Amino acid sequence: MTTRVADRRPMILRVVMSSFLVLWLIVAAFPFLWTLWGSFKVEGDFFSKADWLNALTGPLTIAETGGSFTSSGYYGAWVQEEFWRAAMNSLTVVVCVVCISLTFGTLGGYALSRSPYRYAFWLLLISLVFRAMPPITLVSGYLLPFFEWNLWGHLPTAIIVLVAINQPFTLWMLTSFFRNIPKDLDESAMMDGCSRFQAFRHVIIPVMWPGVITTGLFSFLLAYNDFAVTAMLLSKENQTMIPKIASFLGTTQTKGNVMFAVSSVISVTAPLFLLVMFFQRQIVSGLTAGAVKG
Amino acid sequence: MADIQLKGLSKRWGSFIGVKAMDLHIADGEFLVLLGPSGCGKTTTMRMIAGLEDATDGDILIGGARVNGLEPKDRDIAMVFQSYGLYPTMSVYENIRFPLKVRKIPQAEHHERVMRAATTVELTEFLDRKPAALSGGQRQRVALARAIVRKPKVFLMDEPLSNLDAKLRVSTRAQIKNLHHELKTTTIYVTHDQIEAMTLADRVVVMSKGVVQQVGTPLEIYDRPANTFVAGFIGNPAMNLLRGEIRGGVFEGRNVRIPGFSGAADGQVHLGFRAEDAAVAQAGEIAAPIYSLELLGDASMATVQAGESLVAIKAPKDFQGRIGEPLAAQIPASLCHLFDAQSGERLRWSAL
Repeated sequence: MTTRVADRRPMILRVVMSSFLVLWLIVAAFPFLWTLWGSFKVEGDFFSKADWLNALTGPLTIAETGGSFTSSGYYGAWVQEEFWRAAMNSLTVVVCVVCISLTFGTLGGYALSRSPYRYAFWLLLISLVFRAMPPITLVSGYLLPFFEWNLWGHLPTAIIVLVAINQPFTLWMLTSFFRNIPKDLDESAMMDGCSRFQAFRHVIIPVMWPGVITTGLFSFLLAYNDFAVTAMLLSKENQTMIPKIASFLGTTQTKGNVMFAVSSVISVTAPLFLLVMFFQRQIVSGLTAGAVKG
Repeated sequence: MADIQLKGLSKRWGSFIGVKAMDLHIADGEFLVLLGPSGCGKTTTMRMIAGLEDATDGDILIGGARVNGLEPKDRDIAMVFQSYGLYPTMSVYENIRFPLKVRKIPQAEHHERVMRAATTVELTEFLDRKPAALSGGQRQRVALARAIVRKPKVFLMDEPLSNLDAKLRVSTRAQIKNLHHELKTTTIYVTHDQIEAMTLADRVVVMSKGVVQQVGTPLEIYDRPANTFVAGFIGNPAMNLLRGEIRGGVFEGRNVRIPGFSGAADGQVHLGFRAEDAAVAQAGEIAAPIYSLELLGDASMATVQAGESLVAIKAPKDFQGRIGEPLAAQIPASLCHLFDAQSGERLRWSAL
């Protein structure tokens, strides 16, 4: 190929396409960049009533701290308010939820995808109904028994509930990934000397990798971004990051706490960027149909 | 190396019968072809032998031992799939090595055995490639190499050539034939292609609707079809079949009158004969208008309309004729086959 498709397009079209993309990029990235910039200012600048441009130039920040940027928001959140504890809790919850969901999800999804019986379909359909329900409807029902059995407030409780909410979706998604893998693959592995489980482990899972990554990412996002379950079921010292940010916002009487929220929002978002960038290839191939075909 | 015995083997899904009470003995080292149209139960039979499908009834014995309840891996069978079933994440080398690895064969032997199998099917240049970077014929050979890398008791091949183009099919067919000659492993081969069956098989099993129609050498199946199904399935073109009546040793149908069936009982029959057994002549047992004419290269195929059936007659390649014109052909009774009008079973009569 000597000329790429893009080179053969008329000039005008290329200009329009490029400028649209640039515009789109600005619109999409603006909220994050604005918050990132503002998180290094004091509250009086970022939420300035006098002039919105203060958020960019930051006269109060210079007046109060002597520099045009301050990390006092980050210091306050991470050190003073012990946001690192929330980060550790989030990490525990997220890792456990992803690992447990994927373990049950791959095993169950594989079994359902290879099942010749009709109930497999109905099981999946019912699971989708549970997934469609807002998590809060389930949580309100959990509260009373958890109080009575003294389970409320602990991380494992929240993990179990999150896995339960998440599992239908992982099961559904992984089943459809497994269905794309031809049965011949399991069967030739079994003829070659594998048991059903060995065929699953040595042959199917390597082919499934993009699907597992994609599903894992979705479970990660659910656990990471969850507010309803973690806010209701965790005690203050076991709080994860999202409810912690909410609690920063909830106490606006004291100056500076809003900036704690802003800086922790940035702290929460940054890992997501890294994650998506790191697994980009797997996610794309996992989301493209037929990527896991043998 | 082992023989295989099927005793009353059946497969049913609800009321649907996949395979009906099949009895078969496959000798040690035999090349057996299961032949039939799609949905006739040939693949189901093979999958039951492999252990990928449970038998509803009956026994499967490999080397005298009943294997019904055994997992596929414990039956010591290798199988080549229609879609090859190669592992896309592994290189060709790892694909071929996989059976040795999972069966815990000593590491030291792996390389030598993989190389030997790869050499047999001429794959040594491609060992580092992934299956996706191979052509259909090369993938097929990887599947073959993976099957022969260990010494299984039985080979099963499920339409292994059907995804290849016509030219490659002929050469791979020869390769499979040669491989069987070398290894002398009992082989069961499933196909719907009668040419594959004829060229490869020691014995052919013709199946239809889950029932075995005939078991025999390719020649027996061709020369003495057991019923109208086999007659109408085997051969290209298939055997001509005409409805008619025997009376006093003379067959009479529309446009056809053949004397000489001296031992045959009177009554309604199907008459069958092969296109190449009839000869175009000035006058003969068949006289009917030409329906179509096809030049095959070495000969012409004339099709005439005898009553409601079309009858193919092989004519010399310089045969001239026009559609609609009458054509006469000779077909002696001794080259004809008679089948019962109701059951379609072959009728015996004294000339044969």
